[in-house]
Amino acid sequence: MAKWQDDLQFYTFHFMHYTDLPADHKKYDSLWVDFSNKHFDARKGYDFYQRYMAEMVLADKLGYDGLALNEHHNTVYSLNPVVTLMAAALIPQTHNAKICVFGVPLNLEMPNRLAEAYAMLDVMSNGRLEIALPLGTGMEYWANSINPAVARARFREGLEVLLQAWTKDGPTAYDGEFFSYRYLNPWPRPMQKPHPKIAIVGTGSPETIQIAAERGYAYSSVFVPIVAQEKTFQKLKEEMPKYGHEFTPDKAIFNAICYVAETDEIAEQECKDHVRFFFEDATRTTARYLAPPGYISTEQLRLRAAATASHGSFDWDALTQQWRVVFGTPDKVANTLGKWCESANSSRVLVHHHIGNMPHWKVVKNMTLFAEEVIPRLRGKKTAAAAETRVPTGAK
Amino acid sequence: MAVQWQSELHEVNGVTTQVLTAGRGEPLMFWHGAGTGGGWDFLAPLTEEFKVFVPYHPGWGGSADDTSMTTVQDYVMHYLELLDLLKIGKFNLVGLSMGGWFASTFATQHSLRLKKLVLVAPAGLRVKEHPTADLFRIKPEELAPYLAENLAALGPPPDPHDVDFVVNSYREATSFARLAWERVYDVKLPKYLHRISVPTLLIWGRQDKIVPEAQSATWSKLIKGSTVKTFAPAGHLVLNEKPEAVKAIGEFLTA
Repeated sequence: MAKWQDDLQFYTFHFMHYTDLPADHKKYDSLWVDFSNKHFDARKGYDFYQRYMAEMVLADKLGYDGLALNEHHNTVYSLNPVVTLMAAALIPQTHNAKICVFGVPLNLEMPNRLAEAYAMLDVMSNGRLEIALPLGTGMEYWANSINPAVARARFREGLEVLLQAWTKDGPTAYDGEFFSYRYLNPWPRPMQKPHPKIAIVGTGSPETIQIAAERGYAYSSVFVPIVAQEKTFQKLKEEMPKYGHEFTPDKAIFNAICYVAETDEIAEQECKDHVRFFFEDATRTTARYLAPPGYISTEQLRLRAAATASHGSFDWDALTQQWRVVFGTPDKVANTLGKWCESANSSRVLVHHHIGNMPHWKVVKNMTLFAEEVIPRLRGKKTAAAAETRVPTGAK
Repeated sequence: MAVQWQSELHEVNGVTTQVLTAGRGEPLMFWHGAGTGGGWDFLAPLTEEFKVFVPYHPGWGGSADDTSMTTVQDYVMHYLELLDLLKIGKFNLVGLSMGGWFASTFATQHSLRLKKLVLVAPAGLRVKEHPTADLFRIKPEELAPYLAENLAALGPPPDPHDVDFVVNSYREATSFARLAWERVYDVKLPKYLHRISVPTLLIWGRQDKIVPEAQSATWSKLIKGSTVKTFAPAGHLVLNEKPEAVKAIGEFLTA
């Protein structure tokens, strides 16, 4: 089996939060769905956009393999409700990095329109597009006019349309439960053939793993505890061959919150409050918004009802032990990431360099140190982690 | 008064359907609303005069889920089959809230099968000046005051930490979402309500915060010869709150 070291790539993932919250924001139990947009200040929004785009441009100059973006609605969590616009804005400002739209929730668009938008981005960027297809969080279904009770069935059908639009010469027809097309024939078509690389995004629910396994796509796990994520990838590795697909390390994409500094102490001091903001504030919402009716199965709901929620809670010790959060010197960060890549046999790391309400200088410092000190340690395959834990090919 | 309900399971076009029955007499079918908490003992007085059937809709209570049931018409078809299985010919139909939406739609198509019809705070109509509350916007912990004026009439509140309760509530909300996530009415219903040709009684709690009592004027205008009885102080679950409302149903059906 291919090993992660052979094809290791680092994407920087920017959520582009709107972090200028009112002083009394803690009184709101959710900063999603119903947190009033009267709190949005367009002047500040302009400044955030300028700054965040500059950070992504810097990442391209520093040599990151991908610039990852995603989309959310009705929330301070994301300034990208139309993430394809941000992707389009970044294309002429960047040159080498892949533009990773991770991504538009398929259910919120007509699938032919999404095929068109993504094809435009791929052609405009000369084939730099990579996409991930999320079902969308539960919160998106409260914010949009889509029935969560049919979300999964609609998603499967939308995916069929999208692929048909990209893989069959048009015009074709499509006759489904949710969509019907008389002339499916979108112009343009993607630069990459037959289409840009696709990942399925999810929390590790059986349904989303199944879709990735059936199609042989990558699985991009959202930020969940390490144990849950490893189970997800294990399941993916087991299921994929059943459908005639080979698991390769680029198909296990994981998220990590990383902060690099001169010493472990300085790193903790500089990042801790921003990690706290991410978990306590940016992701704060209610169980009801996370799971609108029918969005998950009753079996999954039963599991969730028994488990602790990650949205809106912050336990530093638990986070740093059970989640992929690492801060410290380049050696520490590289060693930890190496171990994570090894244990998941993953060659794709989505690094959160901009964390919560982190100021620009820290993002620049973190991104630069990571690119110049951490990535070479891992790419060189001479790190302590790789040397200690590397398993001979075929031993697993 | 505690009712000795008998429970039976029927296979209705592939959907296991739980039917509770009690009492003796002419058949009376009660179609429940979007929630099933609290049980049906408020129907006790009716069991003295009628054989009362309380089927759980597919997706609710002890009936199985059927993800293909996404319209009121699916429920109408389901009940036609159940009536055949139970060998019920003509019967009295009482529908509450969402069950009133089912019952009124059923009656527009199958009045010949009905003796009389009772609609209790029925959903299903769009009355722009007096809109039906959006149940999906109401937080579960804030629901009770929407349902009744006298909360004691609803019995002890459910334990929000009871996982079985939480899971079943989610399951029933999911069934309701399949049907009514977009809207809790049928824009075409007003066009066809005149087809109801049996005596019809409309019952409402005057303080109903889910389906406002002011909607009763539209219903009574559209269903020729129907009568309206309102009760106060009472909310949406008027049958739980007002024994005299249940009594009024009995008197109407036996008159």
